[in-house]
Amino acid sequence: MPVFKTPFNGYSVKFSPFHESRLAVATAQNFGILGNGRLHVLSLPPAPASPLTELISFDTADGVYDLAWSESHDSLLIAGVADGSVKLYDTALPPAQNPLRSLQEHTREVHSVDYNPTRRDSFITASWDDTIKLWTLDRPASIRTFKEHAYCVYSAAWNPRHTDVFASASGDCTVRIWDVREPGSTMIIPGHDFEILCCDWNKYDDCIIATASVDKSIRVWDVRSFRAPISVLNGHGYAVRKVKFSPHHRNLMVSCSYDMSVCMWDFMVEDALVGRYDHHTEFAVGVDMSVLVDGLMASTGWDELVYVWQHGTDPRAP
Amino acid sequence: MATQSSEPPPPPSNPVDQNPGNVQPTNGNQQDAGVEAVKQSSASVFVNSEPLREEQVQNAVKFLSHPKVMGSPVMYRRSFLEKKGLTKEEIDEAFRRVPDPTPSIQATNSNQEGQVKSTPNVQPSSPAQTLQPVAAAPTGVISSVGTWTQPRFHWYHAVYAVGLLAVSGAGTAVLVKKSIIPRLKSWIRKVVLEEEDDSVKKTNTKPSLSEEAAAAARSAAAAAADVARASQEMLNSKNEEKRYIKEFMNMLDVQVQEMKSMSTAIHRLEGRTDNHVRNSLADQEDYRTSVSNPKQTYTNGKAEIDLRAGRSSSQPTSAEPSVAPHPKSYMEIQFGNADEFSSIMEMVQRGEKPANIRDINDQPPNPNQQISNPRIAPRTKPWEVGQAQNNSSPVLQSQVSGEGLNSNVQGNGINQLDGESNAPWWQQKNARITEIENGDEIKAGPFGGQTSQQPVRRTWVPPQPPPVVMPEAAEAIRRPKQLVQKEQSEDDQSAPQPTEIADELQRITKISESGGAVEINGGGSVLNSSEIQEEQEQILEGN
Repeated sequence: MPVFKTPFNGYSVKFSPFHESRLAVATAQNFGILGNGRLHVLSLPPAPASPLTELISFDTADGVYDLAWSESHDSLLIAGVADGSVKLYDTALPPAQNPLRSLQEHTREVHSVDYNPTRRDSFITASWDDTIKLWTLDRPASIRTFKEHAYCVYSAAWNPRHTDVFASASGDCTVRIWDVREPGSTMIIPGHDFEILCCDWNKYDDCIIATASVDKSIRVWDVRSFRAPISVLNGHGYAVRKVKFSPHHRNLMVSCSYDMSVCMWDFMVEDALVGRYDHHTEFAVGVDMSVLVDGLMASTGWDELVYVWQHGTDPRAP
Repeated sequence: MATQSSEPPPPPSNPVDQNPGNVQPTNGNQQDAGVEAVKQSSASVFVNSEPLREEQVQNAVKFLSHPKVMGSPVMYRRSFLEKKGLTKEEIDEAFRRVPDPTPSIQATNSNQEGQVKSTPNVQPSSPAQTLQPVAAAPTGVISSVGTWTQPRFHWYHAVYAVGLLAVSGAGTAVLVKKSIIPRLKSWIRKVVLEEEDDSVKKTNTKPSLSEEAAAAARSAAAAAADVARASQEMLNSKNEEKRYIKEFMNMLDVQVQEMKSMSTAIHRLEGRTDNHVRNSLADQEDYRTSVSNPKQTYTNGKAEIDLRAGRSSSQPTSAEPSVAPHPKSYMEIQFGNADEFSSIMEMVQRGEKPANIRDINDQPPNPNQQISNPRIAPRTKPWEVGQAQNNSSPVLQSQVSGEGLNSNVQGNGINQLDGESNAPWWQQKNARITEIENGDEIKAGPFGGQTSQQPVRRTWVPPQPPPVVMPEAAEAIRRPKQLVQKEQSEDDQSAPQPTEIADELQRITKISESGGAVEINGGGSVLNSSEIQEEQEQILEGN
């Protein structure tokens, strides 16, 4: 299975929604504590034994914590940078002409970027300054700022069916559901007793949301009855860093954790853990499932490696 | 807080744009008629529709009436109540109801913020903390984190205590001087008088005696002054000692707590055989770092807190202690380059910069650069029912057309492998997983019978599946949530059908009316009514 060695520690990996064999990786130097950052755009090789090839890369002054592909333009990328800026890159232009925009509004690190998959014209950024901002590509300033969380917002995710609804997960141990048409959050789910690092919506059931927390569990909630989770997925040995529902299967999701593993879960089944990959040798920090190719997954971690594999295969197999 | 402005108008050329009748936000998120039809038409499903819970509101009122809570920032109070599960309405109602402060029983618990900030060591030593105002710089951080009003009381108490001590010290010194020196003087006078009386008799020795007496008196006075000074210094040093002892006690408490937590962590880790060696290394690391940074606390997922601590110390412009408390914590280090991570953290916390950082100008070279127009039409998502099969056509087009970025590689990749009538390697699924997924999906719902066919579809088209005998029933089952996105499929049909992939794809694409081709990847369990339609057509056509 193809592998790519990044010069810096990996933070996030996302498949392109336009090109099956294209993905991008966000990396940060010195584990993201302090240093430069780099965005790589990679391409899958024709044969699984070859490594991933780098199409283009962009350097940033500070680490890149997250990225999002545009859903409207096939070559545009949004990067969330640790110095609080949100940068727009065009992968069709050479690095000397990039970035196209650098939007500096967050006062602390931008930890998550998500592009609206249904409206395709807007994206949200979540930051450690406790706020979430809503942006569009054509405007130089944010359209709205959502400030209610009491601590860092680690993740924000659009609802895949409702164009104006998104959820945010924060270090104040709550998940909030927002509607961009409403002035404040519409729902507050006290999901865990510890910080919640990531949330993601189920693509096939618009009321189901999964949250990943420092308490090593993933909880699956139905927002219509949010007092208790539908399902609690235990199995990770340390904090769960990211969770992502499969775009092709309503029950499946992947997660990556500080226990260096990537796990695949089926939350409707009693024994929920259906796959476990231990290929990383450091914190596994980024994971993604391709929207275009069923079962194709990618992960990256602080061991500076990016793996791409099909579910069921060994990521480290040649 | 949240700034309001109108929504951006959707781009007019966007073919995916919703039918305007459904998007207009009069009905909240009413795009699909299925699930949401159950709810009120005017309320979105993402709103909490529970009525106010009186018991929760009363508990919140008690909590908010507590004097210690009254002095805390409103944000912390709200955050605490939210974490306890109160809805916005309940919290607002509680805030409305809270009267002027009344002495009430201690509210819920004392470690309100303890979960997030993780500082268990603040509460126990509250009486002792009254005497350490100045030296408590690190405890100042934690106390501002953990408790709301104690710092204020402490400051007052501390000021009073210091004042009292100073006054008492000065008073004793003054009293000493006043009491002893007059006595000395009177004694000297007596001596001198006696000397004068005696001097008549002894003129030679008396003056010397009186001089000696005077000298002795002077030295005695000097000694008394020294004694006064010494006693004052002793008082001061005692005060300082008291302060140091209190500090030391606190630090010991912290250490004890850390030891306890470390031991629990070790117990937890005992089961992990492959990390035993690393455990010992890690504990040594932990102990070293904890000794050097006495005010650190333990939480799970400390990487997050460490990063924030490292970054906040390195970027002094950003962090404000009141807004974003970032307790520094030591790492529970369980991986290979633990030394590297901890060394970088320590370097940053000391204020040094790692050597490998370059100065990079990442500002846009042309801030007014136009964003190019999209070259490829957006693809519908697999979960957008009925549209999944449109994905394949734009894929091939995009990969064949040049985009300036190694498109040849992709194009060749697809073309080379097409000869085998197999999709590119990354789309093939392991047979083992298909079994698992078939099993899962059979349990999952009514689509079980259908899915067993999907993964095998690519290479061999099975005989038409018998389960789908009643097309109307199948469609009814399949369409619980009908998105009004049929228009999209018609919009997307500008692309010509693909002819390069496997044979079965070509067959099916020719047949299908809506023009959707089966996905290259076999679709897995992408279940949608159009696939049923195709199969039904095949049944009907006796294919």
